[in-house]
Amino acid sequence: MSKELNIWLDNLLSDIESVQFQRRNSRRVRVDVGSEALPALLELLQGRASYVHLSAITCVDWIEDGQFELVYHVWSYETRSLVSVHTRIPRDPGVYLSIYDLYQPAAFFERDIHEMYGLYFEGSPDMEKFILTEWNGPPPMRKDFDGEAFVNEHFHWEQYHPQWLKDLEEEGGGITVRPEDVR
Amino acid sequence: MSNELENIPIRQELEVLQSGQKRTNPLANVFDGLVKFCRSRSMFMLHYCTGCGAIELPPAMTSRFDMERLGIQPMVTPRQADILLITGYVSIKTLKRIILTYEQMGSPKYVIGICSCTVNGGMYWQSYATAKVLRDYLPVDVYIAGCMPRPEAVISGLRELMEDISSGRAESWKKYYQHYDYYLGNQQKLFGEDWQTPTDIIAEARHYDLMTEHTLGEHTALLEKHQKPLEALEMRLSVKDKQKV
Repeated sequence: MSKELNIWLDNLLSDIESVQFQRRNSRRVRVDVGSEALPALLELLQGRASYVHLSAITCVDWIEDGQFELVYHVWSYETRSLVSVHTRIPRDPGVYLSIYDLYQPAAFFERDIHEMYGLYFEGSPDMEKFILTEWNGPPPMRKDFDGEAFVNEHFHWEQYHPQWLKDLEEEGGGITVRPEDVR
Repeated sequence: MSNELENIPIRQELEVLQSGQKRTNPLANVFDGLVKFCRSRSMFMLHYCTGCGAIELPPAMTSRFDMERLGIQPMVTPRQADILLITGYVSIKTLKRIILTYEQMGSPKYVIGICSCTVNGGMYWQSYATAKVLRDYLPVDVYIAGCMPRPEAVISGLRELMEDISSGRAESWKKYYQHYDYYLGNQQKLFGEDWQTPTDIIAEARHYDLMTEHTLGEHTALLEKHQKPLEALEMRLSVKDKQKV
């Protein structure tokens, strides 16, 4: 049964139009799905196809496309395979449905994504601050947050220009490649 | 080079400079030296590891490199510790706790910054969450640079601190009282204007007779404006079922 389950799932998913289905190897599947169909697909995977373990939800900020990509990794203990469900939602207003009613661990990941990307999940039990409890700035993992500018504005650097370096510079030597040039 | 070496004050001159007045008791200097020697040979190191550099401390403390042969032992509470080791990167959240811890330690206290991160942010130089120059927020006695420093380097840094203590150079804890306004200003810049700690540093500075013109300033004025008086925690007892008790 459990061996055939994978084959049935492959057949089903490759039959549905608008679902992009890629089997990487015997244990990894990538599915690209529209954001309206994702909860139904997860319902099917969890309820019928034994994918009961939500490993992680990851978020990618595609700022040039104006989209957030959400990746739901679900694992099945029976078929021992991981399905990664990719979906894209518009960056603005950045609101999506919570899957807390399907997978309870999702509350943890959604709260984290909300904090780091500012993406709001409707129906998630807690969207309060999580790790960055003392942070009042914009969500720091968004691509439009310039970490380097923030650092330069809020911190200063220890100057290090010792005598031996000055001596080298007097002789015409010194630092040839500065970190600023490499960046 | 020889000129530079001559400029470094030798130990006895330094002591005379610091005492500033003539000692009447002929044995006072001997006694002071003895106290400093004993102090440097018996140190308790606070066991509060902040970053990844802490991974080098177990081998430095235990049988392989054996810190205890130098008289340095781990201690679990700040109030009974002499050394605060800041091992590695300091996030802004951690820095608050470090300052709370540091202020609770009894004087004299010494701070050692381990790893590149405490010097200049290290590999987290770009991170929004990491404080960069530890020296801005606390007076640091010894820096041990490296990413990360081997236990040999840690031991050698601790030996340097011991040498500093016995020769009277490790007095950075006084700097915290003498320049409290500067340190508080940097803390306020990072934590906001209403930052306050339960320890009354200004009263302590008066107690140790370490008030200078840099102790009070605009930042301490700001602190006084926002300071909320500490209240004792409420304690309540209730016995619901007398039979059980």
